[in-house]
Amino acid sequence: MTVSESSAQRYELQDPDVRLMLEVRDDNAAAFDELMLRYQNRLVTVLEHLVGRREQAEDLAQEVFLRVYRARKRYVAGAKFSTWLYTIANHVAANARRSSSRRPEVNLTVRPNDSTGASALDKMALAASGAMPTRQLDKAELRDIVRAALGELNERQRLAVLLSKFEDMSYADIAATMEMSPQAVKSLLSRARVNLKQILEPYLQNGTRPSE
Amino acid sequence: MTTDPLPESVELHEELAAYLDGELDAQAVKRVEERLGRDPAYQAELQRLERAWDLLDRLPRATVNEAFTKTTIEMVAVAASEDAAAVQSAWPRRQRRQQLLGGLGVMAAGLLGFVVGHWLWPSPNEQLLRDLSVLENFELYYQADNIDFLRLLDEQGLFAEGESDHAG
Repeated sequence: MTVSESSAQRYELQDPDVRLMLEVRDDNAAAFDELMLRYQNRLVTVLEHLVGRREQAEDLAQEVFLRVYRARKRYVAGAKFSTWLYTIANHVAANARRSSSRRPEVNLTVRPNDSTGASALDKMALAASGAMPTRQLDKAELRDIVRAALGELNERQRLAVLLSKFEDMSYADIAATMEMSPQAVKSLLSRARVNLKQILEPYLQNGTRPSE
Repeated sequence: MTTDPLPESVELHEELAAYLDGELDAQAVKRVEERLGRDPAYQAELQRLERAWDLLDRLPRATVNEAFTKTTIEMVAVAASEDAAAVQSAWPRRQRRQQLLGGLGVMAAGLLGFVVGHWLWPSPNEQLLRDLSVLENFELYYQADNIDFLRLLDEQGLFAEGESDHAG
């Protein structure tokens, strides 16, 4: 990527994490530790909701940090640091998905715990239809339902939602991270919002779910 | 209240989503807010989208433990030492390659110089070499009166290579 000098200076001036990364480029180990501490929880959060498993998310986050370190000498301030970091994370997660697709026993889609075998979302549909009695949701159940709803989105929609919601990224930053146009991100997030609304609609009305 | 779907749903949803994400310009914001004020179905759809989005706040945020941080730093430290070792081991190889390339360069430059020099300034010895048989028989040529006599001697094989000793 070609980065103009003025744009690199702007990012360096505006983004303290870019300045830290430039110190990492100059082999400042303390700067790397600081960056890692700033981003490790955020990165693992996004990756966990992206791939569906905490352990795998931590492995991937470590891979991302390792790549950041190994790429330090080639680093140029061409974007916000978070945009650059999540671009790497997107590639690492995509590689993991490709590997997982060669192992069919691994399922990346998040499903809440359910002893009956039916997904929470199946029950949601029943609740919405009025075919089952309803009761008030507790916090853990609602969290599981939301997690399952997120898992129903396709991978691109899910990543765009996570970057927007958890990283507060603009369409332009999400577009840079996911290597697509801002207009495509606009459409992607719009479809994701509509899908989430449709999946979660029964809970938007009265906060209930089917009794077990 | 259920009001879906509105006729222009794709554009409508893109507009509402961008409005909620703060991605519309001032003119578009004004247009959306005017419609929100006069269209209850439009307003209800906005609220449904917003409430569904707000439910994502229920998703858990990860907090890694110290072991994660420690392991990651160790991994990076190992990578750093591997990088350093790779640079060190690559150094003599690089030096050898540079020396070889330097030697080949010098040889190529020398060869080119020789060819160009030879073309520009031919060696005077070449003329001597071409005239060697004449020089070797100079005494005989000197004693001859004319060219016809020399041709006659030549036809008799007197000037042939290796014959001069017998002739003398």
